[in-house]
Amino acid sequence: MANPVKSLAVGAKALLTGLGMTFGEMWRTVVKKKAVTLQYPHEKPKLSGAYRSAIKLIRFEETGTHDCVACLACEQICPSFCIKIDGEKVEGMKKQRATTFTMDFALCSLCGLCIDVCPTTTLEYSKLYDEAGYGRDWKMDLLDPYREGEEQFRVEQRAREAEAAAEKARAAAAAKAAKAAAAPDKATGAPEKEGEA
Amino acid sequence: MMTPHSAPVTFAELLGQPWLATLLGVGAIMGFLTLNVLFLIWAERKVSGWIQRRMGPTEVGPFGTFQTLADMLKLLSKQLITPAHVDKPLYHLAPLVVFAPVVAAVSLFPFSPGVSISELDLGLVLVFAFAGIGVIGIFMAGWGSNNKYALLGAMRSVAQNVSYEIPLILSALAVVLLASHPEGITLAAGTPEAHTAPLVGTSLAHITLAQEAQGYWFVLVQPVAFVIYFISALAETNRAPFDIPEAESELVAGFHTEYSGMRFALFFFAEYTNMLIVCMVATVLFLGGWDGPILPGAVWFFGKTYALLFAMIWIRWTWPRLRFDQLMRFCWGVLVPIAVLNLLGAAALAQVL
Repeated sequence: MANPVKSLAVGAKALLTGLGMTFGEMWRTVVKKKAVTLQYPHEKPKLSGAYRSAIKLIRFEETGTHDCVACLACEQICPSFCIKIDGEKVEGMKKQRATTFTMDFALCSLCGLCIDVCPTTTLEYSKLYDEAGYGRDWKMDLLDPYREGEEQFRVEQRAREAEAAAEKARAAAAAKAAKAAAAPDKATGAPEKEGEA
Repeated sequence: MMTPHSAPVTFAELLGQPWLATLLGVGAIMGFLTLNVLFLIWAERKVSGWIQRRMGPTEVGPFGTFQTLADMLKLLSKQLITPAHVDKPLYHLAPLVVFAPVVAAVSLFPFSPGVSISELDLGLVLVFAFAGIGVIGIFMAGWGSNNKYALLGAMRSVAQNVSYEIPLILSALAVVLLASHPEGITLAAGTPEAHTAPLVGTSLAHITLAQEAQGYWFVLVQPVAFVIYFISALAETNRAPFDIPEAESELVAGFHTEYSGMRFALFFFAEYTNMLIVCMVATVLFLGGWDGPILPGAVWFFGKTYALLFAMIWIRWTWPRLRFDQLMRFCWGVLVPIAVLNLLGAAALAQVL
């Protein structure tokens, strides 16, 4: 405070610098449209790849449906007991099919053990967002998107498995026939191979 | 002092009934002030949002412009709570005492050549007098609330307002000296609008006319006075960085802590209208009032006023609040001496010119 004029000038400069800074922020927000906030109900944030919400069943491209075989591994490992699964053996199909798969999201702690333990890797985190509600009723039916195509899938899958079985049977028969045909030559065939070696 | 009218067409004469003109004028002022307050609060919230990289209100109406209208309706519909131990007469009277003078003061301004609700040769003096009444209302509110925070806020407000009124008026006086200069009077008398303005340095219309006639705004010859005036105006309106009367981190809300509903709205109304008044005074004194090329006078007048108001809002959201002793030292140790020296300089300048 030795020189009052100098201290006034320094103070004025500092104040003007501050004004310039806030004006810059205003400019960035209004003109460059770079507000750091999101207009919540209208805008959705870009969710990261590690975003965790309620689990869901994966739709596989080859079959067009999930691959839950109702092995109950996830139900058993779940620390919050929030998964309930029922399954059935379908006539003509090797794997079981799940008939109920409900999950109580209110209990779920998003630990991810069910996803790790799934033998058919048909579970993953969904990207559900903005799921606030007025109650605690968060029972989710994970099979809901798959009910409609289930019958068709079973028909197709049975056909595929029958086809595959028939193919396998044919191949086995052919192999057997070839083996049978090759058997008489076996005595003469062996020395030939030795000669090649 | 009344000037001879060359074309005496006032609103009162047009209507034939002075009381009708007064009623209409008050109605117009109230309507304008309500819109102004709604706009200013919206602008304050928008600007503060932008400065903090937010969007401010966006939901109610286009760009959130009806947000303050919704807030006002909410305040109107709220119950008026009177705390148990208040000093009832003071408590009930205070909002009105704060509110009435600001409405009266606005009616004195020349918005455009020949357009004002009430043209007085002592307009500037009256504006400052009305500003002084508001301080009484604030102290009534603080005392009547019977609440330590309210009382502290009111005491701070009174001390601050009384102190800062001195540099405020000293800097305004410098302009009055310039406008009272014989040459300025002669020049102003020669303008076509001269019949609407009394030829006295304290008449707001005359100050504008003098600037128009001389061809420059007084901010160019009195920049120091303008800066002092603007700083003092911030303190007069209890705005940041001088908003210690309602320093929310120390005093809850200061003198209006105990007020709710519409009574609180009246204080709010008065605060924002006070901002408008000091900015209008600054426009008239330093920025040439309605003077400006091409556009109509009212556009220039309000353009300048709202530019100053924007600066006030900008300053509020940039600078931190002063401590009370810093505030007082700044007033008495810096502003008052500079203002006195500046006034002496202006007096010398007026003699030389």
